[in-house]
Amino acid sequence: MLVLLFILFGGLAIGCAVNVVAQRNPLYCAISLIGVFVSLASLYLMLAAPFIAAVQIIVYAGAIMVLVVFVIMLLNVEQEERRPIRIGFLLPAAVVLAAILIGEVAFFLWSINPNPTLSPSDIGLTSSIGTNLFTAYLLPFEITSILLLMAIVGAMTLARRSGVLTPNARVIPGAQVLAGSEIDPTSSHEVPTTLTTGSTTEAARILEISRRTPDRE
Amino acid sequence: MEPQLSWYLALSALLFTIGVVGVIIKRNVIAMFMCIELMLNAVNLTFVAFASFFRDVTGQLFVFIVMTVAAAEAAVGLGIIIAIFRNRESLDVDDASILKL
Repeated sequence: MLVLLFILFGGLAIGCAVNVVAQRNPLYCAISLIGVFVSLASLYLMLAAPFIAAVQIIVYAGAIMVLVVFVIMLLNVEQEERRPIRIGFLLPAAVVLAAILIGEVAFFLWSINPNPTLSPSDIGLTSSIGTNLFTAYLLPFEITSILLLMAIVGAMTLARRSGVLTPNARVIPGAQVLAGSEIDPTSSHEVPTTLTTGSTTEAARILEISRRTPDRE
Repeated sequence: MEPQLSWYLALSALLFTIGVVGVIIKRNVIAMFMCIELMLNAVNLTFVAFASFFRDVTGQLFVFIVMTVAAAEAAVGLGIIIAIFRNRESLDVDDASILKL
């Protein structure tokens, strides 16, 4: 029974992983990757690790993949166009080397002796993980929080728009924009006043963008 | 017959290799990013398999921390991807082969 489940979920994971690599549309890649995550969570359950399985679903299939799909939607990603493979002559060599590698790995994996067996234990339970996380592994846990803080600050810094518009940027008509002199902290204005613009060209004129803006209106 | 430890290790190695192949042959930055996530998950499977078969909770704690690192990587990596797209209007890694803007 467990063997059948292993074959089912392992095969699902490998199939979805191959699909991640084979697909040209990034959105289909993301959906396949969610399939990999869900089948791996099922494998974790078979390995008696329910906490890790739940975190896998919540964090990976939930949070991270939603973030990725959000970025794919935001950037309006086009399909990857088909281009000739530049390393075509290396393909036979790659197949031979892969066969050698698989043979080696299979030899080592099948020669593990004695083979450990899975027996019922409480190591995968939430209480066991929590106890260890807050006693023996407290320092890595705290360092992880610092890492997350750094990631938050880094992501905000990267995603923040700087004050200067890029040449190909478009200003949304009707959005509130500030003139460059009013953003400048050295200028005498105490409170910057917002200006509402009706068109891209007007906003560009207020922002003192000298480049010609495309005639959209 | 039960699934052996070596089965899980073989599955994990296969997934990791597929992820490596994806990182090498993909040209879309987001697709490469997803292949990296695939590799992280393959390593997680190894950790959990060893932790369960040797009855040591350390492996599962490592998985917990790897997931945190993956979340941080997703936040920063997607920020970098958005910055690249904003500057180059493209997600192709060949267009971003020079780090200079």
